[in-house]
Amino acid sequence: MSSSNVKDSSFLGGRIPPEIESMSKNLKDVDQELFRKLLKVVVSALEGKDCREVMKSVAESSVIPQERLSHIIAGMHRVLSEAIRIPASLLKQEAFKEDLRELRIPEDFITDFSSVVFGNRRATLEAASSQNDPHLPTLEEFKWRVDVSISTSSLARALQPSVLMQLKLSDGSFQRFEVPVSKFQELRYNVALILKEMNDLEKRSILKIQD
Amino acid sequence: MADVEVAKSLSGLLSGIAQMVYYNKSEITEELLKNELYPEMPQEEFKVLFEKMKGLIKSIATADMDHAQLEAFLTAQTKRHGGSGLSAEQATALSRFWKSQRVRVRESLLAQHRWEPTLRGLSWRVDLQTGDRYGNADHRGPVALMELELGRAGQDSEFLCLEVDETKVDQVLKKMADIQESIDRIVHRT
Repeated sequence: MSSSNVKDSSFLGGRIPPEIESMSKNLKDVDQELFRKLLKVVVSALEGKDCREVMKSVAESSVIPQERLSHIIAGMHRVLSEAIRIPASLLKQEAFKEDLRELRIPEDFITDFSSVVFGNRRATLEAASSQNDPHLPTLEEFKWRVDVSISTSSLARALQPSVLMQLKLSDGSFQRFEVPVSKFQELRYNVALILKEMNDLEKRSILKIQD
Repeated sequence: MADVEVAKSLSGLLSGIAQMVYYNKSEITEELLKNELYPEMPQEEFKVLFEKMKGLIKSIATADMDHAQLEAFLTAQTKRHGGSGLSAEQATALSRFWKSQRVRVRESLLAQHRWEPTLRGLSWRVDLQTGDRYGNADHRGPVALMELELGRAGQDSEFLCLEVDETKVDQVLKKMADIQESIDRIVHRT
């Protein structure tokens, strides 16, 4: 295996993941039509879609036993997620293909894999994978209302504006709170400052290190 | 008691009442005020004075009287006969008290009628994600992490943390401009 030491290490790392090895064994006598169907399902799964139904119908109509199918699917999932993990600028298409050839994956399938990893699906897949990163809840909806209290039980003429805000967060929760006018000015100032920071950050060259 | 002493005790009493009634200082009690300010006064007499001043402050505060209204109100009170009338010293003390406390009392009364949690503070930071489990994050823009401090009157704060990307920050800022416009419209009209 001296040749593999000379060449850059595989995108799969030093040790081939077991799912991928068993996929390559189980791919024998799988025709390209089935392979493409499976690949499509795996790609939608990586994009975060629910594809249980589609998977079921593909499995039912196939002559390959379910157990072999599951090895294939697990392997495809792993190949794609490992490949998407590596920044596009660092993974060369030829090297990717070469790595798969070494696993004795049929050439037609390699072309299909490659068209997913280097094709126009890539951006969607990257975006979908980032959804799984640890996150704080994000802001989904921001509603507001400006109220003026006219009179209260302890103040005959209040006539005081205040802002009522309601935030809907991505975890499904609603947060409602009141912002006195003086606090509102502070909040607005800070939000403007945040936006400025973000704009400045994008201009700074420190972010262009990767190229 | 000398006049100066009388005035001092009276203004102490007024600010004590404000602490109790408007600023939620539970450590100030009627008994404490009596012992500290009027140790020699009979309990009954103190009680009458205390209730009278409390009632007057309440009337002044509820109406949120300005200077002219207050003077008219106090003059009317001093002209009343019998025990319920106001002495000139008391009128002066009330006038002085209100001058210095009006804004704060009003603020406290307004706060009593906010039933939703109120925004108390905000802290934030801007982050740039440089990597993740999938290795690739350089295509993502900066993200703002915000922590809003919220709380109801008299209760401890709760903290709400959220993440906002640049597009959202921009949208929120635009909405805030609308809010500002809406406030300005009201404030100019009144």
